[in-house]
Amino acid sequence: MSIGTEITGGSAPEPTMEVAIKIWRYDSQTGERALKLYEVEAPEWACLLDVLDIIKDRVDGTLAYRKSCRMMICGSCGMRMDGGAVLACKERMKPIVDRGHVPVISAMGNMPIVKDLVVDMDPFWSKIRAMKPWLQPGYQEPPEREYLASQEQMNPIHKEALCIMCGCCVSECNSMESDPDFLGPAALAKGFRFVGDPRDGADIERLNEYNSEHGIWDCTRCYFCNERCPKGVDPRDAIAKLGAESVRQGIDHDLGAKHAKWFVTSTKTTGWLRETELVPKTQGIVSAIKQTKFALGLARRGKVPLPFPPHVAEEVREARALHDLLKEQNRRGAAGIVQGERGLARIERTDEGGAKRDIAEITPGEEPAAAGS
Amino acid sequence: MLTTGTNGKPGNTWRRVAYYKGCLASLSAKELDTSTIALARKLGLELEALESVTCCGAGDIHEAEPDYYLHLNARILSYAEATGSDTLMTVCNVCTLNLRQANWQLQKDEELLERVNRNLETVGVPAYSGSVEVKHLLWLIAEGEGYERLKQAAHKGLKGLRVAPFYGCQILRPSKLLGFEDPDRPWSLEAIIEACGGEPVDYPAKIKCCGFPIIQAREETALGELIQPIEQAQEAGADAMVTPCPLCHLSLDAWQSKLKAATGKDFSMPILHLSQLIGVAAGLEASELKFKRHVVSVEPMLEKLEV
Repeated sequence: MSIGTEITGGSAPEPTMEVAIKIWRYDSQTGERALKLYEVEAPEWACLLDVLDIIKDRVDGTLAYRKSCRMMICGSCGMRMDGGAVLACKERMKPIVDRGHVPVISAMGNMPIVKDLVVDMDPFWSKIRAMKPWLQPGYQEPPEREYLASQEQMNPIHKEALCIMCGCCVSECNSMESDPDFLGPAALAKGFRFVGDPRDGADIERLNEYNSEHGIWDCTRCYFCNERCPKGVDPRDAIAKLGAESVRQGIDHDLGAKHAKWFVTSTKTTGWLRETELVPKTQGIVSAIKQTKFALGLARRGKVPLPFPPHVAEEVREARALHDLLKEQNRRGAAGIVQGERGLARIERTDEGGAKRDIAEITPGEEPAAAGS
Repeated sequence: MLTTGTNGKPGNTWRRVAYYKGCLASLSAKELDTSTIALARKLGLELEALESVTCCGAGDIHEAEPDYYLHLNARILSYAEATGSDTLMTVCNVCTLNLRQANWQLQKDEELLERVNRNLETVGVPAYSGSVEVKHLLWLIAEGEGYERLKQAAHKGLKGLRVAPFYGCQILRPSKLLGFEDPDRPWSLEAIIEACGGEPVDYPAKIKCCGFPIIQAREETALGELIQPIEQAQEAGADAMVTPCPLCHLSLDAWQSKLKAATGKDFSMPILHLSQLIGVAAGLEASELKFKRHVVSVEPMLEKLEV
């Protein structure tokens, strides 16, 4: 009898498929690791989590992974498939089997591995807690009536509110690989969920805290978080919204904010980036002078264009006039990003995420993520 | 205003596109511009350079003043549309993402397009109808007619040169806005290296970040990212790396000396723009390739090819 019919208990036999997957097994106590192949029969409707359940039930009861709701709500079953973080309960196996592909399953990155596919999420939770993820309304006594927030007021934080804290966005975060203290996409998206909440009264304090050394401006814009998030939160966009709110509120002491503001200044004055002045405008004159030797090396190769006479785009007055005009229209800060989301939500996915031709398979996830390193 | 077409021989033109250089190809990476123009001529790709456009904002204006970002990009798209071409060609990952993102926002939201167009017209810019598609040079020549022409043009070949493709981020992710290829298993640079007679070198960090966006604000974090692709490419035996992005090029090429200072490792890895790599195989002139503008010498690679 096939497993499919057993699970559903139905009378008609359900179509099944032969599934092969490889799993990076890891024991943090002994340090032993091994890539093991598993081949099982599974119903055609099976997702990756179903296949793991079958392996654990029938083949090897010692396999460790987290799971709970099975319906993309609890955020427990984050893991890597072929090096990219996924929710195991969201990944249908049939298209993969049909391709004849044997995926490699491993633990998520940027978190220490406890065993097999289970990671230690303590660093993740401490960053979430650092965002003070609760409403700070700014009054001591509750008002007479409850605070009513309209749908319209809540819409700007709709995407960030969808986060299920699964950790998929953190798994491949390139900044966090380099700076493990980076608050990271999940925590910062949570931060915008409160900065943008009409009932919260602590947005200035929050923005000041999120502008810390390992905060907003530590993001390298690799966009792995947007790519991986299984819920459409788009954490990188949330980080940009925090940056935009910081600039709007004049919280622009960070080098990252100064860097971003210089692009506005140079574009409205010359149309193009004034590259040579970017370093002093970002880092300040003293630091820029320290960089002189490096800069002279670049200058010899023509990499430091002379600021005078400035390279000015034709009709740059149009760019300047646009800047003046927009000042009056009050779409500053995060509102300028939120307004574009309606259009982006209407994009239909046309790609199947499949490679267009067979090339040597790259599997950045074949090594278990460096545990604790 | 919208001229400097650099078309090939009459009758040989395969496609005509509006060409957006972006900041770097206009300034510190002029070698990208000259090699792109020369390569396009060889391929019969007619470029209509946009002269009155501005910076796309490079993700920075999107973060500092997002509404201004949207309008600047709408203005670029409008002038591209005015050339009569249906395609705006970019040569930079960051320009590609910024322009495509703005384009989707406008194409999929009539209300927003209407508001932006009112503002454009107020300052004397023609309204944008939404007819342009933004494509990177890489996408135009990695398949179809462009790829066939590339194979013919690359007659001198790369003689088995081992080349490490470095994609960078914003030509792959977010794939929802870019969507040309699988962001985890891209193939286009490999296809081009092969067409040029080179041997693509595979390594995991080819799809990761070079650290450029934060190289000034967070140098240490950025260098921690930058070292990965260079080190892995070298370990995989690459003679050179190629990238479709001038920002990746700048960090991989110019910041190698900082990696050496920080880690003591001297990679001396030549870094080529996409148009330069093909240019070598297609026999472009030294004055068009402008390798003298690189910080890391390309000579060892050229010696291997006996160029």
